[in-house]
Amino acid sequence: MRNALRLLLVLSLWSVEFPAPCLGEISTFSSSFEREEGILFAEAGDSSVVTHQPEINSAAAPLNRAQTLRLCQSSDSGKEGSEPRFPGEEVVEEGIIADPLEPLNRVFFNFNDRLYFWFLKPVATGYNNAVPEPLRVSLRNFFSNLFMPVRAVNCLLQGKIEGFGIEITRFLLNSTMGVFGFGDPANVVFNISKKDEDFGQTLGFIGIGPGIYINWPILGPSSLRDTVGIIGDGFLDPVNYLAPHTRYNMGVKAYEKLNGTSLVLGDYESLKKAALDPYVSLRNAYYQHRQHKIKE
Amino acid sequence: MASRYCWQTIVLLLSVVIAVPTLAGEPMEKIKQTTGKIIAIVTDPALKAPERAKERRHLIRKAVDERFDWGEMSRRTLSTHWAKRTDAERKEFINLFGELLERTYMGKVDDYSGEKVRFENEIIDGDYGIVKAKILTRKETEIPVIYRLKKKSGDWYVYDISIEGVSFINNYRTQFNSIIVKSSYQDLVKRLKAKVE
Repeated sequence: MRNALRLLLVLSLWSVEFPAPCLGEISTFSSSFEREEGILFAEAGDSSVVTHQPEINSAAAPLNRAQTLRLCQSSDSGKEGSEPRFPGEEVVEEGIIADPLEPLNRVFFNFNDRLYFWFLKPVATGYNNAVPEPLRVSLRNFFSNLFMPVRAVNCLLQGKIEGFGIEITRFLLNSTMGVFGFGDPANVVFNISKKDEDFGQTLGFIGIGPGIYINWPILGPSSLRDTVGIIGDGFLDPVNYLAPHTRYNMGVKAYEKLNGTSLVLGDYESLKKAALDPYVSLRNAYYQHRQHKIKE
Repeated sequence: MASRYCWQTIVLLLSVVIAVPTLAGEPMEKIKQTTGKIIAIVTDPALKAPERAKERRHLIRKAVDERFDWGEMSRRTLSTHWAKRTDAERKEFINLFGELLERTYMGKVDDYSGEKVRFENEIIDGDYGIVKAKILTRKETEIPVIYRLKKKSGDWYVYDISIEGVSFINNYRTQFNSIIVKSSYQDLVKRLKAKVE
């Protein structure tokens, strides 16, 4: 247990060493690392551009620290052969997430895939047919409203006072006008939209990198930082206080997951259809999405 | 620090955009035209008949081709691997990638059920532009979408779409790079061909 904690600390500190604006988090664990070439993307034939980079196919040699730092600096200057990036364009996060556990993650990915198609999807489809959509949307709103403390506290932790105020306002409006949170008049009527923050984002906000990619069975894609985030959020989640006994707690969580899935049936199939390698596609989409949320 | 720089330049750019009204709004206008065209085709009751499905797809494809730059997209998804490809290989890849996108997304266009697109703002700097929009779904969710455009021969073409912060080009680039690094470019082409058959 103590060793596990030590490992966690080392891994998270390792990712803190690279400052947040640095584009590109390079894995030195895995020998089959992949690199987003966007940072060092060069126009073909443009001789004024620095094109030096390690041969892609000799992937066995991990990058040393000096090279990694150079990558960070060159991407910050934006002058060396990077895609033309003009000021005002939100900096497209060209980094990648380290994935040293890829073989294990792929096993879990396949497990989740089967779980979805053999269990979650049929049940959610039946549920879809039994419960009309507006009611399912209302239930989603209810659970989301209940989750307010997580969002509000994490806004505060990030110094986003306005966000904190928005979340409190939304909670009050939706719990009263929206009848215990089933409606969302705050958004629909007053145009005050959700400030979705969680502890994983807070950790990212203060500069902690994602660490490594972990694809949990059942829970799905996550990272080291975001897993710590989920554990942290557990202390703020009202459901854990209202329904503390494991059986009821899991029941509520499972129902929330079912309801949520019923509203997004088809998204996972779309991802699989669009992708050549769904595992990589999901990992990349997860990473990009989290980076985007942290920046917001 | 970075965000302060961003804000200053955004304000500067916006003032430039406002100062030159004839050029302002072009990328957003172009996207509005294209999305308007596609929505019109998809909601046209006359074209809903199954016999006219092929014609419908052809029209949609034509509208999309006017606005999306497949060559630029292909180049960006292969990134550093692009330089090593011969002209014939590049042509083949552009075709295959276009096929993949068509097969994947044509079906989604058919699923259109009245979602509204609300265009929010745009930022232009020289030959590059960004248009921000929100898609309002039936299920009361708002999906933020960002179009990235590049100006070529006087017209604006989309080269990337980000949905909820996930860039489409970035996503494909990671996948393709992963396949090329682990096996080879030829394997990538083989997998693409298998997928579009």
